[in-house]
Amino acid sequence: MSINSLLATWTGKSAYWFLHTFRGGGSSLPGKLALKLDPAILKHLARNYDVIVITGTNGKTLTTALTVKVLQAQYPDILTNPSGSNMKQGIVTTFLTAPRAHQKPLAVLEVDEANVIMVTKYITPKAFVFTNIFRDQMDRYGEIYTTYQKILDGVALAPTATIIANGDLPLFNSKQLPNPILYYGFDYQADGDEHAPANTDGLLCPRCQHILHYRNRTYSNMGKYFCPNCGFERPQLTYKLNALTNMTPTSSDFEINGQAMHLNIGGQYNIYNALAAYAVGRFMDVRPAQIAQALSDNDEQVFGRQEIFHVGDKDVTLILVKNPVGLNQVLQMIGTDTRPFSFAALLNANYADGIDTSWIWDGDFEALPKLHVPAYISGGERYRDITFRLKVAGVPTDDLTIVPDLTNMTAEIQKLPTQQVYVVATYTAMLQLRKQLASQGIIDGGMA
Amino acid sequence: MATYTLNAAHLYGDLMNTYGDIGNILAMGYYAKAVDAEINTELVSLDDLFDPDNYDFVLFGGGQDYEQTIVSKDLQTKKAALTSYIENDGPFLAICGGFQMLGHYYIGAQGEKIPGIGALDHYTLSQDHNRFIGNITIKNAETGQTYYGFENHNGTTFLGKSERPLGTVEQGNGNNGQDKSEGVIYKNTFGSYFHGPILARNEALAKRILKLALQRKYPDADFSALNQLTEDLTKNVTIKP
Repeated sequence: MSINSLLATWTGKSAYWFLHTFRGGGSSLPGKLALKLDPAILKHLARNYDVIVITGTNGKTLTTALTVKVLQAQYPDILTNPSGSNMKQGIVTTFLTAPRAHQKPLAVLEVDEANVIMVTKYITPKAFVFTNIFRDQMDRYGEIYTTYQKILDGVALAPTATIIANGDLPLFNSKQLPNPILYYGFDYQADGDEHAPANTDGLLCPRCQHILHYRNRTYSNMGKYFCPNCGFERPQLTYKLNALTNMTPTSSDFEINGQAMHLNIGGQYNIYNALAAYAVGRFMDVRPAQIAQALSDNDEQVFGRQEIFHVGDKDVTLILVKNPVGLNQVLQMIGTDTRPFSFAALLNANYADGIDTSWIWDGDFEALPKLHVPAYISGGERYRDITFRLKVAGVPTDDLTIVPDLTNMTAEIQKLPTQQVYVVATYTAMLQLRKQLASQGIIDGGMA
Repeated sequence: MATYTLNAAHLYGDLMNTYGDIGNILAMGYYAKAVDAEINTELVSLDDLFDPDNYDFVLFGGGQDYEQTIVSKDLQTKKAALTSYIENDGPFLAICGGFQMLGHYYIGAQGEKIPGIGALDHYTLSQDHNRFIGNITIKNAETGQTYYGFENHNGTTFLGKSERPLGTVEQGNGNNGQDKSEGVIYKNTFGSYFHGPILARNEALAKRILKLALQRKYPDADFSALNQLTEDLTKNVTIKP
């Protein structure tokens, strides 16, 4: 251990103590300071840990949280990074501020796709988890292939680490890698032969460049894919969802490798997150029944992304959206609600939202009118775009209220005709709405 | 059944669809209702035949680098048919990669020169480690209309003598960041780097192209209702540096 590492560690810890004590926060600055003094500080800080890196464009946060829950059934010392602290500085801060661990502790880290290499430069993880790669904040990283390559650049420095990957995504079967690979996926439907919808990304066979078909498809370009031209197909799954018994907006029941599971959150995409957590659990020798138990906990801290609050007599569910795949999954989930509900969409285009709003046109808003939603709200800084999108999707103008100024949202929500209200919002629109709700005492001030 | 029907080809819609390009057809379909017209959209992709006589409108969107290299090969088999459609005043909207591929060539991600079909007279080079990303506004010379969009491209396109730009750049980079041109107009073919999508964000342009398509198919009908703008969209953009 070098003097530099010690000094860097001490500086980072001091900064964290100061920020934590006097400012009530401090997620990346301690790491930033420590990295300045010793760029290789992670090598020193993480030297005793077995590290599991979770990466991909969607579902990282919940997969990480679920994986931690699953592993806690067997391992007492698990370090993890708070949601959003998934770049180099945040990860260093996580280790800096870790309680002193005994034995060989585990670290389960959510890592931004482009930051995988920042980790593997200094640590060889025990396993990587690849959740998925969808078009996301393309103004930042470019295309799905570029994003995957960024991950693989990091993985190349750790060729012995096991990869636990979503087997339903063709991209994760597109490159020969030296690493051991275990796949998980959905396998509960009879075989058919279908195409993905025209505006789906990533449909080319990586081997012969023909359009992939699906024996069955879950959503986007995921499913039991095959190439009718060259025979390329989904790899053997080690961890299979073999039955999907019930889905509501707030829960799912299913079986993985024959083990019944109950999850207190809706949405097919969250079942993928649970599958990933199950896979890591089994890989780390947690028993299936223990995993089922861990996943069935109704833990609000874990499922915080879907926030429910009450405005007058309305039950409002607030959901973050940031890309078409996520949006379509949210719409699918809302569609499982048997109660009548109203729908609001709030669109901003700041950096954290993604500054290009084009993606709303790839979202299947056309599904909404079919659900007989009696009232709609469109709002946010880009209310004109989202209003027009909803109108084009077939939302009757008479049923649509435009709320450019989100400070009017609570008043408008109270006027809606249904008790159930779903609000989908991009990141900064959600922050603005939460700030408004907090100022009115409807929710606590902190960010979920 | 609507009184008027347009058949649209979504060229390589399953491969060239990266930034909501499908919204162009959706927006046109929405405006078409005002004159009791509807749009039937067909996917024309790899190994499919493109018959120029079957279509009243063609959309060719942008794709990812990898998809574009595959499309550029297949496109050569449709070269004659597409060129004939364009030369016969077929209304065509080509966005980003689609715009590039109607020209002579573009440069791929690995620096390789990838042939287009040369139906239009432009060519496209690439920038080293740079993309033009951000909000953009242009002004169309004939109509004086301002168009709003979002550009995100590495390619720099240079128009040929027979082409005029879709607009002059007022804010943003445009075709190449040098000559203030953005997009292209050649006969009834419109090309642009605009996402947004362009017809969803620019009602006037959507109605202009829609009217071209309708009048080409139904020369005796009156579509003057499309001259009126109805949506509150034009002040839509806050330009951020």
